[in-house]
Amino acid sequence: MKINYLIFMAVILLILGFSVLNAEPSIDLNGYFQTDNRMLIKDDHNFSWHEYRLDIQLEAYPSDKTHFFSEVWLRTIGKSNIQASSDLSDKEKIVSSNLYFKEAYLDIYGFLCKDLDVRIGRQRITWGTADKLNPTDNLNPDDLEDMWDFGRHLSSDGLQATYYLGDYELSAVYIPKFTPTVLPGGVWATALSPSFDLPTGLVLRNYSDQIIMPENNLKAQSIIGTKFSGNLFNYDLSVSYIYGRDYLPLINKAKFTPVDAFGTIDISAEMIFPRMHIAGFDLAGALGNIGIWAETAVFFPEEIMLSTDLSELGLGIQESVALENEPYIKYVFGGDYTFTNGIYINVQYLHGFIHECGTDSLEDYLMFGLEKKFFEDKLKIMPLNGGLEIKDFNDFKENYAVIYTPEITYYPYDNVELILGTHIIDGKESSTFGKMNDSDDLYFKAKVSF
Amino acid sequence: MKKIIQRSLFLLLISLFFASLWAEEIQLTAVQILGKADDVINAPQDQDLKIKLILIDKKGKEKVREMSMLQKGSDKRLVKFLSPADQKGIAFLSLPDDVMYLYMPAFKKIRRIASHVKNTKFAGTDFTYEDMEAVRYSDKYIPEFIEKKDNHFLLQLTPKEGIKTDYAKLIMWVREDNFYITKIEHYNRGDKLFKIMIRDKIEKIGEYWLARESEMQDLKSKHTTKMIIEEVKLDSEVSDDKFTKRNLEK
Repeated sequence: MKINYLIFMAVILLILGFSVLNAEPSIDLNGYFQTDNRMLIKDDHNFSWHEYRLDIQLEAYPSDKTHFFSEVWLRTIGKSNIQASSDLSDKEKIVSSNLYFKEAYLDIYGFLCKDLDVRIGRQRITWGTADKLNPTDNLNPDDLEDMWDFGRHLSSDGLQATYYLGDYELSAVYIPKFTPTVLPGGVWATALSPSFDLPTGLVLRNYSDQIIMPENNLKAQSIIGTKFSGNLFNYDLSVSYIYGRDYLPLINKAKFTPVDAFGTIDISAEMIFPRMHIAGFDLAGALGNIGIWAETAVFFPEEIMLSTDLSELGLGIQESVALENEPYIKYVFGGDYTFTNGIYINVQYLHGFIHECGTDSLEDYLMFGLEKKFFEDKLKIMPLNGGLEIKDFNDFKENYAVIYTPEITYYPYDNVELILGTHIIDGKESSTFGKMNDSDDLYFKAKVSF
Repeated sequence: MKKIIQRSLFLLLISLFFASLWAEEIQLTAVQILGKADDVINAPQDQDLKIKLILIDKKGKEKVREMSMLQKGSDKRLVKFLSPADQKGIAFLSLPDDVMYLYMPAFKKIRRIASHVKNTKFAGTDFTYEDMEAVRYSDKYIPEFIEKKDNHFLLQLTPKEGIKTDYAKLIMWVREDNFYITKIEHYNRGDKLFKIMIRDKIEKIGEYWLARESEMQDLKSKHTTKMIIEEVKLDSEVSDDKFTKRNLEK
């Protein structure tokens, strides 16, 4: 925590430094405070999420050509972590808090020539035209801490340069350090975990794993990307390329250790982050009055072999392919429309969710949303929000999940939002969301912006 | 008798000929009036405005928003919200050929907007995205002269074929002395009057006419939005680079 506070203080000092240097300081302080409480619908209504978040954004313009932005989250999340009476004297265990350094970057406009902008520092680079689910958005790792906050990413420390030429722009990004994805916590902790098909007769007692991070050097850690965007026939188009890694780890080694004579075993695994090339394409425009978008990414992964050590079971070491070096494609297309009575609809079809990797593991999703505002925009109702997950079209009845997430937002005053909603899942446990069909919850959020 | 009939027919034909010429002149005049009105409201090469928006509900309760608006010519407009806090940074760019972009700072993303949003309210005001577009009315509407009334020309505007708009008809009041548009009545597809825009405090700044206050009334919800220009800079040589996606998120 001390390091976090030091970072926070450094940001404050940096901003104050700018204000001293600048004859007419122009510093903006904005942000919001948000509470987010969820409880399970079934049984004893256990709390499934408990978060209090203070978002602080500082923005400064040291000169006409420069801009500084930073955003931090101060949060308490989860519950008290008390296991022994000695813990009661540890405030951090009773009311734990954390500081997340979300973004901090410097923009230099017209660097070296008037059409070149440069952004240096921790930044979120949003690529893709689809709504929250973007197959081409691969420069920042996903932040899956909250599975219901689709599209949230971590920011990355890096350098982005964008050259503008009329309606066209060319971006180049360099991220020197690799950062893995944040996986979900709480009741969702196991939803995205890899599953093992154990040989018949074996029963798993303990599973443990070790993550092997890329070597700590430029060659192994660096991620590069480039994107060219323009407009053709009144459609916004872009093509992109990334040389990066899968931000989710993949098992490449597993050792089976027998515990007893009845087939009980322990497994210890080793996981790595596969290297890959990613080529992307996206477009946005309109068909008549309907807004449309499409986005696709072709992933070219390196081949990853899985070495399964069964020698202690007398079966030697078996080699198989964990990830083939064959390209696989994720895509999304969708559209939105506002009816004259103010009802807004948004529909997207997605092939390949965030965590899915390799041709055989890609599933299909139909996401939809409908919203309408009432009482001079004081009340927003989203009665038909959700999606359909289809794991296998040929055996739909056993491989699907329906996700239903209606929500009501009330804006009693400027800058204040009160949100009430629910996450309901019905489906088969073979599907990603279906595994969570016992985790339906009800939530309430309050947010004030300043 | 035959001669009388022939003369009568001749006179009738002559009358019809002059009547048609007169009608054509009225039509031409309506086009001219609208053209002049477009020229007057878009006269400055560029406009850099700071605007206060007051949203007034049917009970008289007020909410205040602030925004900056940059316009060049008659077809490029950039609007950025300065307050309240939860809308600060939201920016809207309107370009020729119905191209519109919206920047939402919370998502760090510029989004292309299709024409279906044109009839929706712009950030809770009574102005729609269509109202916020920079346009020349004569590019979108066919004018028809109605009458002269209270020192104003009254024109009826109907959309040209192929123009996407939610307004079936506009009744426009144009001042006779300076061709400034002071009032527009908006009719929906059911030919029902549902919104009225009134421009007030019209003053001359340099060589240009400008309404310091505009008001849009929604007759159904009895909600009104007042737009008050607090700061104005005209012809300050605003660069075309300001009306780009690059500048939208700055």
